[in-house]
Amino acid sequence: MMRPAIHRIFGMGILCAGIIAAGLLGSSSPVDAQGAPLRQVSANPVRPNIVFILADDLGYSDLAPYGSEISTPNLSVLADQGLVFTNYHTGPNCAPSRAMLLTGVDSHLAGVPNIPEMIAPEQRAHPNYQGVLGDDVVTVATLLEDAGYNTYMAGKWHLGMEPNKLPSRRGFKRTVAMMDSGADNWEQRPYLPIYDQANWFADGERYTLPDDFYSSRFLVDSMIDFIDSGSSEGEPFFAYLPFMAVHTPVQAPQEFIDRYMGVYDTGWDDLREQRLERAAAIGIVPADTPMVRMETTDDWDTLSDEERRYQAKRMAVYAGMIEAMDFHIGRLIDHLKQTGQYANTIFIVTSDNGSEASGPTDPRGFPKRLGPANLGYNLDYETLGLKGSFSTIGPSFASASASPLAYYKFYAGEGGMRVPLIIAGEPVDPKQRLTNAFAWATDVTPTILSLTGVSQPAERYAGRPVQPITGRNLTPLISGVSDRAYGPDDWIGYELTDHGVLFQADYKLVVNQPPVGDGQWRLFNIVKDPGETKDLAASEPQRFQRMLGHYEQYRRDNKVAPVPEGYSQMRQIVLNALLQSRKNVIAFLLTLLVLVPFYVAYKSTRATRTLPSD
Amino acid sequence: MINRIIKVLVLLPAVLFVFTGVRWLVTPGDVAATLGLDLGEGLGRSSLIGDMSGFFLTVGSCMLIALITQRRTWYYPPIMLLGITALGRTIAWLIHDAALAVPQIMVELVVAGILLAASRRLPQER
Repeated sequence: MMRPAIHRIFGMGILCAGIIAAGLLGSSSPVDAQGAPLRQVSANPVRPNIVFILADDLGYSDLAPYGSEISTPNLSVLADQGLVFTNYHTGPNCAPSRAMLLTGVDSHLAGVPNIPEMIAPEQRAHPNYQGVLGDDVVTVATLLEDAGYNTYMAGKWHLGMEPNKLPSRRGFKRTVAMMDSGADNWEQRPYLPIYDQANWFADGERYTLPDDFYSSRFLVDSMIDFIDSGSSEGEPFFAYLPFMAVHTPVQAPQEFIDRYMGVYDTGWDDLREQRLERAAAIGIVPADTPMVRMETTDDWDTLSDEERRYQAKRMAVYAGMIEAMDFHIGRLIDHLKQTGQYANTIFIVTSDNGSEASGPTDPRGFPKRLGPANLGYNLDYETLGLKGSFSTIGPSFASASASPLAYYKFYAGEGGMRVPLIIAGEPVDPKQRLTNAFAWATDVTPTILSLTGVSQPAERYAGRPVQPITGRNLTPLISGVSDRAYGPDDWIGYELTDHGVLFQADYKLVVNQPPVGDGQWRLFNIVKDPGETKDLAASEPQRFQRMLGHYEQYRRDNKVAPVPEGYSQMRQIVLNALLQSRKNVIAFLLTLLVLVPFYVAYKSTRATRTLPSD
Repeated sequence: MINRIIKVLVLLPAVLFVFTGVRWLVTPGDVAATLGLDLGEGLGRSSLIGDMSGFFLTVGSCMLIALITQRRTWYYPPIMLLGITALGRTIAWLIHDAALAVPQIMVELVVAGILLAASRRLPQER
């Protein structure tokens, strides 16, 4: 019984140091005469390890602590011991969120306003619209490495594949990283035709996956190896573990799929209701939370028995993939316990964005099946989720995955932006288990820095000007010193391809663009009405106008570039892929053009040589 | 027969060098990544694209001209360029903390060797 008490005392020490560090916002990072960062040592006698677990496309209610039926025992234990954020938000798609999480800077200023695959050529004219991590932002890994931490990464990166953008050049000592928006979970193959191959790198060099690869198992194995390799050095570690689960293609081991066969036979509407009831019972959302039914949700009752069977298995594979991720997280936790490192480890668990709805409702219908088939994937019921199979959950189950929220990934609705966040571990001993305080993706980096006692960079770092961190330190919420990270006058804006949002106090100003949205600005109280059902724009016009003004200021301050006329996300992905192909075709044709004079010269020379001499 | 094989062994890398040179002009970011290079910006980008396209187009063109004109002297510029590049890579590894790029060095030396053989074996025009 002594150890928990000691850890609690130690944990409070960390939190106090964190709060003090929070008061030092804006203090510049110490550098030597050459501008290189000096080693920063925490005031804490023993600095905590940080395990930062990032799921991919995990919906708001996909974890048991958030009302899910999916068994996530290891994450549930962390939630029971830690602080569960019910009002945490992130960007509505992948790479921009990752940039914010790792830098504490808005994605537009960090160089990643969108995934590169989706940026229009007109926007690429802006230096901050390259879709890769800018050179003027510092990652939390760099700051921790400079402070003496061992920094490891195993998982999806998607912040740039050029040599100076690789994670091994952005603060991580040991890495095994997948560079693309996604990839197969069973083998090294691309999941979209826009990629020639699945681009994996280890420690800065191209990497070939082992034959027995399954993503979640492999990433945790790699992380355990990294941690063990540095354990003799006596330094704490920062372990960044961005899983590929549950991004498309949704794939899971058979034993995990089997546990959910039959669970989803009553359909997506029923699942959405069940999750709302459980979430309300836990206190994740208010008991009387109303929901909208998305227009993209199909009518379960009109499906044939065979269609229902197939749809239910799609969701079973998804659930199996989440439980498999949790299982492997459990292996990492067990390893830390066995090696005596668990008691000094803080866990941060979240998702990069809300649930993914891009898969078609009926993936087997023509011509939907052509895409996966062209990549050599099958869509067969029997092998769904296994090696060689391509699965998604589609918009109807995605809406249930985000229950009780509206919309999903790529949209500014709560379903795309509100995701789980758990901060736990023995070094932190929160005074409360749930908080509905607003929190934002850029808050994660300053929180990690606070927990580790490492200073934030100011205007310069390592002799170079850098974007200052704009996120807030969340440790006062954990310690109970404060019940809000943002005051009533503070506001947070965000933009993704003209989907716009501004958060202020309990309110959210939002516009969702077509095809699912209608381009109309709306105002919601997302604490009382997280399902975004009651538009307050007409009843609170002053607040509405004031927040619109803040949003315009956000766009100016963060160099948001307008999308071109007629822009659509999915069409731009296709156009960019064609543009890339077109460049290769142009290079080929130009080569032929260059070779033509050589060929003509060759033929004429040969003809001259074969002429009979006089 | 051997001469024909040597001609093909010269022709194939020549076309590849020309194609790579054109790619440096059309899709420099893609080809830079395959060589472990950052495209950079400003003067650095200008130098990289100009120098690299110049290198590859010159090497490829000289090899093609050598085949067409059957003049030995046209083999010498690509032999020198490839040989010195391989030497430079080795010096970079020894002195400047660069990676030892064995596959790239091997390709450069093998092609240079083929060109040397071609300059010796293939019939020359007087």
